[in-house]
Amino acid sequence: MIEVVLNDRLGKKVRVKCNEDDTIGDLKKLVAAQTGTRADKIRIQKWYNVYKDHITLQDYEIHDGMGLELYYN
Amino acid sequence: MANRTDPTAKNIHGTNPQNLVEKILRSKIYQNTYWKEQCFGLTAETLVDKAMELDHVGGTFGGNRRPTPFMCLVMKMLQIQPEKDIVVEFIKNEDYKYVRVLGAFYLRLTGTDTDVYQYLEPLYNDYRKLRQKLADGRFALTHVDEVIDELLTKDYSCDIAMPRIKKRWTLESIGTLEPRRSALEDDFEEEEDKEDDDQIMIDSEPDAREKDHYRGRSPARDRDRDRKRDSHRQYRERDYDRDRDHDHDRDRGRGRDRDRGRERERDRDRYRLRDDRDHGRERGRERERDDRESDRRDRDRCRRRSYSRSRSRSRSRDRKERGGDRDHRKRHGRSSASPRKHEDENGNVREESKKKKQKKPKEDGTDHPDPEIAEANRIRASLGMKPLK
Repeated sequence: MIEVVLNDRLGKKVRVKCNEDDTIGDLKKLVAAQTGTRADKIRIQKWYNVYKDHITLQDYEIHDGMGLELYYN
Repeated sequence: MANRTDPTAKNIHGTNPQNLVEKILRSKIYQNTYWKEQCFGLTAETLVDKAMELDHVGGTFGGNRRPTPFMCLVMKMLQIQPEKDIVVEFIKNEDYKYVRVLGAFYLRLTGTDTDVYQYLEPLYNDYRKLRQKLADGRFALTHVDEVIDELLTKDYSCDIAMPRIKKRWTLESIGTLEPRRSALEDDFEEEEDKEDDDQIMIDSEPDAREKDHYRGRSPARDRDRDRKRDSHRQYRERDYDRDRDHDHDRDRGRGRDRDRGRERERDRDRYRLRDDRDHGRERGRERERDDRESDRRDRDRCRRRSYSRSRSRSRSRDRKERGGDRDHRKRHGRSSASPRKHEDENGNVREESKKKKQKKPKEDGTDHPDPEIAEANRIRASLGMKPLK
């Protein structure tokens, strides 16, 4: 179980607990459950790399405590 | 400039009609090539030509969420705001199904409740196939009546949030709408007797389902909902099993809406109930030691306040409160404060070691000792994901 921090630089900072083998799509659903936006409106990036929905956190080498950028579609 | 709404256009739902589409999607549409090239200077007539060229419906697609031409035309209609009879013409035309769906979509966004139901329900009989563009760019097969059902039951479609309309049974009970007459009603006339048995079964099913949901509700609310359901059943007695596909879909849709609302309430109730249970379990030990009502009430209030915030903070706060309680006890001259102190600390230590032993999810993990993890597992279960490891 890892905990990922998502920050949208506009005041929304969210800590989400998830498994390493969850996909980005699952992570978006968890973030949506916590923030209240819709899951398909969320875009998760790291610098200019937009993370795709079907790839797992493990494959993106997202570790515990890592910060991701939260943007909106 | 080109993106401003027609100055003679009226406000829809209290706002500039283009604001029905949210900001990010709106900017994406304005920057879209299709919008800039094809949708410049369109009028109602030329819009029809463009609509006839449509070959798929959809919202946004792709990694950067490009809008489809369907979206751009919806936006154009919101911008120029055609007359209602033009929109009705769009809907009534039989030849071009995409024009029909475009008109239906626009009416759903801008029309009144009665208009929406009145004009969109006949489209339930249109079974033609439609091409729908999904979010990842692939095409999917859908039908006109499926799209209409989505428009009428859901509050989100094609990446646009639909304005709220009253539910059909509300309008029926007010009297502005007649009970729904399905087109397949006459076909099922002879099966009326056979359906009576099924009706009894179907009637008992929703009752069983709803009984579970009613656990945390007040009886007044139960009564209201039963009354509404009964009156609704009165109207739709004949239709109930007749057109099972459509009615069932809409019932399920309505039930889904109700279930969603009820689920949220239920989750809230369950969370509160679980908190109370936790309170009971941990304070049980102290209750045996301390029989003072007022002290318990004070601690209730303090504990409840602390447990409503994060766990780590509450732990330290508990310890502070327990220290405060100890002083309180000394001040009130209770005997044998010191053995109690030891018990207190041991109790504290016992609790902490229990908390440290966590991390063993059971089944779907919602009964995990650590409330944060249990909460996370509850959310995951509701989303259909496996529990945390």
